[in-house]
Amino acid sequence: MGSFMQRATGTLIIPVGVFAVVWTLATLDGASLFSSGDSLLILARATAVTMLTTMALAINLNSGRFDFSLGAMALASSTIGASVAINVGGGFPVMAAVTVLSGALLGAFSGFLYVTLRISPLVSSLGVTLLYEGLAFTITGGGNISFTQYPELVSFGKSLVAMTAVIIIALIGVYTVFDRSRFGSDYRSLITGQAAAVSAGVKEKGNAIKTYAVSGALMGVVGLIQASSKGLIEAGSINFSTIGIMFTAFLPMFVGGYIGRYSNDKLGYLLGALSMSVIGLGYSALKLTSAQQSLITALLLVVFLIFLSNEERVGRWWRKVKGGNRTPQQPSDTDAAQSVGTGAR
Amino acid sequence: MHDLNPTDVNKETDVTVDTRDDAKTTATSTTKAETTTKADAKAASKARRGKLFADLAPLIGLAVLAIAFVLVGTSSGTNMGYAVETLINQSVIIIIIATGAIFIFAMGSFDISLGASTLVAAMVAGLVHNATGSLWLMLGAAILTAVATSLISATLAAVFNLPVFVTTVAMLSVLGAVAAALVQTTGGAQIRIDRAFSREYDTLAVKLIVAAVFLALCVFLFNYTRLGRVEKLVGGNPMTAKLTGVSMKLTAIAAFGIAGLGVGLGAFLTVLRTPTLTVTSASDIGMNILVAMVFGGMVISGGPRSRIYAAIIGGISMALLNQTMSIMLQGMAGGAGIAQMVRAVLFLAVVWLAASGFRTKVLPR
Repeated sequence: MGSFMQRATGTLIIPVGVFAVVWTLATLDGASLFSSGDSLLILARATAVTMLTTMALAINLNSGRFDFSLGAMALASSTIGASVAINVGGGFPVMAAVTVLSGALLGAFSGFLYVTLRISPLVSSLGVTLLYEGLAFTITGGGNISFTQYPELVSFGKSLVAMTAVIIIALIGVYTVFDRSRFGSDYRSLITGQAAAVSAGVKEKGNAIKTYAVSGALMGVVGLIQASSKGLIEAGSINFSTIGIMFTAFLPMFVGGYIGRYSNDKLGYLLGALSMSVIGLGYSALKLTSAQQSLITALLLVVFLIFLSNEERVGRWWRKVKGGNRTPQQPSDTDAAQSVGTGAR
Repeated sequence: MHDLNPTDVNKETDVTVDTRDDAKTTATSTTKAETTTKADAKAASKARRGKLFADLAPLIGLAVLAIAFVLVGTSSGTNMGYAVETLINQSVIIIIIATGAIFIFAMGSFDISLGASTLVAAMVAGLVHNATGSLWLMLGAAILTAVATSLISATLAAVFNLPVFVTTVAMLSVLGAVAAALVQTTGGAQIRIDRAFSREYDTLAVKLIVAAVFLALCVFLFNYTRLGRVEKLVGGNPMTAKLTGVSMKLTAIAAFGIAGLGVGLGAFLTVLRTPTLTVTSASDIGMNILVAMVFGGMVISGGPRSRIYAAIIGGISMALLNQTMSIMLQGMAGGAGIAQMVRAVLFLAVVWLAASGFRTKVLPR
């Protein structure tokens, strides 16, 4: 029971703490976090987008593969999906199916390039980013795709039920694929011992391509949500202008890694994304400018990383303050900050 | 392909032991050993050729692109003098910043905030110029701001044991916010310096002098001083570097300081070239620096294969490619998208060739 309490506390302390702090600050300022009727929808949509992006980033980064092309995959897949739905018809089901399938194929192609060229995944993803941004630009001739006149295409991103369903389905799907399947076992063995796993017969190339495909499919869903909620795709984004979305996933990824020590990292990504979305609602409630929001988010990232990288020191200091000499149980996982390799120190 | 590896050495050792048994075995084993030695020598020679080709790949790419640029330019009746000037204008800032950044990348570190740092330094320089009217104070402000920014990242990472890359991700957001705040100080959406003043100094001579002085300093530091050797040692094997008494923190701070100097000079030239700065100015510089370095043969994991000339080769190659594609796709709808896809394919091809002599059995990470 004590163990359960420890795990529950470790899992929930960040999201509950974040909600408490943000709610208190908003209340002190005389504002409300859920002031408008759309607040819950905004929270669910932001959580879905952030969680999917975080998962897409983390599943490759956990294997030391840094991927700059996440935003480009979301852009290219949604451009393809919307173009097909507008020109061929079929409404939202066609747009959704084509977007997610395109995302998976673009992801698989990215993985195929990586395993075929055998170059650094970071470098490979730079080329892929240029390629997919160029593809989206070429499809539309550099213009935007607007489909606000098609109500069936924009209803998905404006539905609380749909966003909640996306979160639940994606969480269960990613958990099943990576934690409850043969593929997931191979994936984890490659993370912990690449050379040993390959020697033991794990098919590294196939595993990498499938991981990229899942990452691409997740970004396809992100592209679908963004396109559907805005009714617009800015397909003229070139020169690496799509990489920004990746940076929103770092803090939830580290939070997810921390929570994963006590429960499961996939659940951690959801709770990390939820925490970030609550902070986003707080920014709106407190009427902070975008510059102030960027600054605070960056400081939160730095402070959380400092905590993760110096956890042992903080623990020693805390024990000293308490005057006890009992050695607390250390989490078995590696430090979240260290466990995600970037291919660079 | 047969590479030299510990297994081969063991095989040869086993053969040596067998030869003590009897003369027949000795003869057979000696033949086997000779065959193995010949095969190994052949494999080693092949590997050497592969590595030489890999080292030359970026230069071959540059030569091919230069020929394509001249052929396409002359056949389409382009004013080549003007095209070359545009080429220098496009590449010089990237080359300067990327050359400084090689000191960071050689250590196996990664700074993604260089573009944002360039923007903030350029904005501060612009504000200082507007307040004082001095060129030198403007230059000093650009350098000081960029070096300070760079050192903050290095110090944060060194003092708190943070992964450098993630620290620079946070700096990217911080600098974006600082840029937005700086713009707000003018009460508008931009920082503008006197266009006549900027035109006076936005000349090829100024750019080439700044680039030549900084590149000479970097080449000297990287190739002929202990600092350069230590940077490569840290990138190649950080544990060995630590055990040989190298101060990782000081080395990192020195690398970030030099990169900051490059960013400062790049920011100075940016504000002369683009006298009206907004929060989106220089937004693509950060990633283009990375592309230029890799295109020029820089190894992203750093170490002994790091080359200070990579940024120069890569920067010029990218500018040549951009110019050639601009001429070829002039007026075509979606031409910029096609140009970017061609750029991606060539980038991947050159990187693939440059890595051809250094493949491992497992996938690179």
